[in-house]
Amino acid sequence: MLFFKECKKVIFSLTFIIYFAVTLAMYFTQFHNDCGEPLRKPGPSDEYYGTVAREIPEILMPNAAEGLVGEYLSGSFSAYPYGFYKNVRLSENKKFRLAEVITELSGLTAYELDNFEDYQEAGYVMGDNNGFVYVEANIPEINIPDSLTYDRFRELMREADKIIGGGSRYSDEFIVGNFSLVPRTYEDALAEYERFLYDDKITGAYARLYCDYIGIDIAILPVFVAAALAGFDKKSGMEQLVYSRKVSSGKLVFTRFLALVTVMAIPIIITAAIAYFKVKSIYPGEALDNFAFFRCAAYWLVPNILISTAVGMLVTEIMSGMIAIFVQGAWWFMSIFAAEGGLTGEIKPFTLVMRHNNLLKSDVFAMEMKSIIFNRLFFTVLSVVLVTLTVIIYEMKRRGVFNGLSDLRKNSGRKSKA
Amino acid sequence: MGFQTLGKILGVNLRRNFLPHFLAAVFIIIAFTLLMGISALNEVQSARPVEMVMPIVGVILLTPVFHPERDENIRDVVRSKKTSYEAICILRVIYSVFFLGLLCGGFVYIMGLCESSVTVRHFIGGFASGLFLGAMGFFFAGISRSVIVGYMSPMIYYTANYAFGRRIIFDLFSMTTATDFYDSHIIGIKYLLIAAAALILLLYFVMDIYK
Repeated sequence: MLFFKECKKVIFSLTFIIYFAVTLAMYFTQFHNDCGEPLRKPGPSDEYYGTVAREIPEILMPNAAEGLVGEYLSGSFSAYPYGFYKNVRLSENKKFRLAEVITELSGLTAYELDNFEDYQEAGYVMGDNNGFVYVEANIPEINIPDSLTYDRFRELMREADKIIGGGSRYSDEFIVGNFSLVPRTYEDALAEYERFLYDDKITGAYARLYCDYIGIDIAILPVFVAAALAGFDKKSGMEQLVYSRKVSSGKLVFTRFLALVTVMAIPIIITAAIAYFKVKSIYPGEALDNFAFFRCAAYWLVPNILISTAVGMLVTEIMSGMIAIFVQGAWWFMSIFAAEGGLTGEIKPFTLVMRHNNLLKSDVFAMEMKSIIFNRLFFTVLSVVLVTLTVIIYEMKRRGVFNGLSDLRKNSGRKSKA
Repeated sequence: MGFQTLGKILGVNLRRNFLPHFLAAVFIIIAFTLLMGISALNEVQSARPVEMVMPIVGVILLTPVFHPERDENIRDVVRSKKTSYEAICILRVIYSVFFLGLLCGGFVYIMGLCESSVTVRHFIGGFASGLFLGAMGFFFAGISRSVIVGYMSPMIYYTANYAFGRRIIFDLFSMTTATDFYDSHIIGIKYLLIAAAALILLLYFVMDIYK
């Protein structure tokens, strides 16, 4: 049967063997070794429970104002306009506009700002005892007017963000997380631990962490396997022979796609099973969700395999395997490095590599569920669309209507000098 | 091989085989510049775009050295000619490394023009990371006779380096994660990368000659 023949081809290909080995290596080095001890229940007398972002105007307003004044005086602004870190320097015109914003929210005039000479940014300096000491930023005194409402303050922050170019610490997306962090209480920490125990049933939380680690590789490696298989007929000189067969292009392409996805899911199933038994061994006697790893892997990782494979097949068919790798590599790269602004709570509708690098924060994950569902459905549907396009291209090549863009120079009619 | 023959081989290879990869590398650099921003960065911040993009440029330039002869029949025909195939591959490696250096130097220079604090260390660091990863791609493409495996191996290394952080000896991102940018240990890692790359390239040619 064609499906099993294609599966056999994939299993014995060098690229799949490498993919299999890397997935296992990623699992054992990242997730398995990190699962040593069970998660400790917070105690009432613990000194520190971490922090949590809460929108409290009394904390957010002075902190954000100080941050904005500090960056104005330093002459540069941190921003993530496209998800990547960018250090923004403003033109004189934009600086003037920003100074007006600062004047309204702090009372400091542009003259006072531009003539403040004692600015020192916050950071660690060498102390008297040869140790590092943290010093606060030295900025002019800020007096937020009593008449300034919180809504107006947020408007001013949005304007500041717009002047900086978007993606700054003052945007709606980042302002609370940057400037309104409050210490978590024992009750907060206990509630989160209980969600981990009773809502996630332990394995649910570990499954998210497992998918976070494995998802990094799964979003890129399948394109290599797909590109290698898609180019296999051409490389072995069997293309014309396959073209002449009775099997329809749709059946052939979709069978290959399914074979690729099925085989590439094997290391996922294996590592998910190992992960489940590992977590079970850490929490003996606890009530676990026995299918959490498989369920999470199915909705989190499989769409990544689908889209990476589909891109690999389509671009290889149109151009070449190298271009397919380049395209998927660029997409993967942007997704991975754009996420460095936050490894939890950053899942958007079109995020390729979903990250949730935390055993806890299931409430944050739950808040993103709409985006996650849309995201995974979108990539699943998109992969089917791309494979359908692959069928069309394959059929065109079979009929001799189109020979691929990599052969355009051959078909351009240029005469050899010889 | 006379100089005239060498010139002809060089011209043909640069025009037909190398140009698309060079343009892809330039595109990557431009895309990074637009997305990441390279203005007014301090030394450690400046190291980040250099160390992120140059390894990819190295892979793009060095991995496809054997790609023109990917078809076994073509390879057999080329090997049957008087002109040494190994010499042609060495020539390709030399000009790929040269253009890697050129692109790295150009990128660092442009960062300097954009008021970023860049030094010769940034050039050495970017070049070393690019050369190491490119050499790895070249090696695996050569021994597997597959450019796809050639691209896969450095990609895996790049991802692993990103995931493992500083636990890898041949750390591509040592300058970005440095607590003290001017620590001699940092530049030492980069010289180690260059030495490792040279060894990898040499190893392949020795293996090929004795095969």
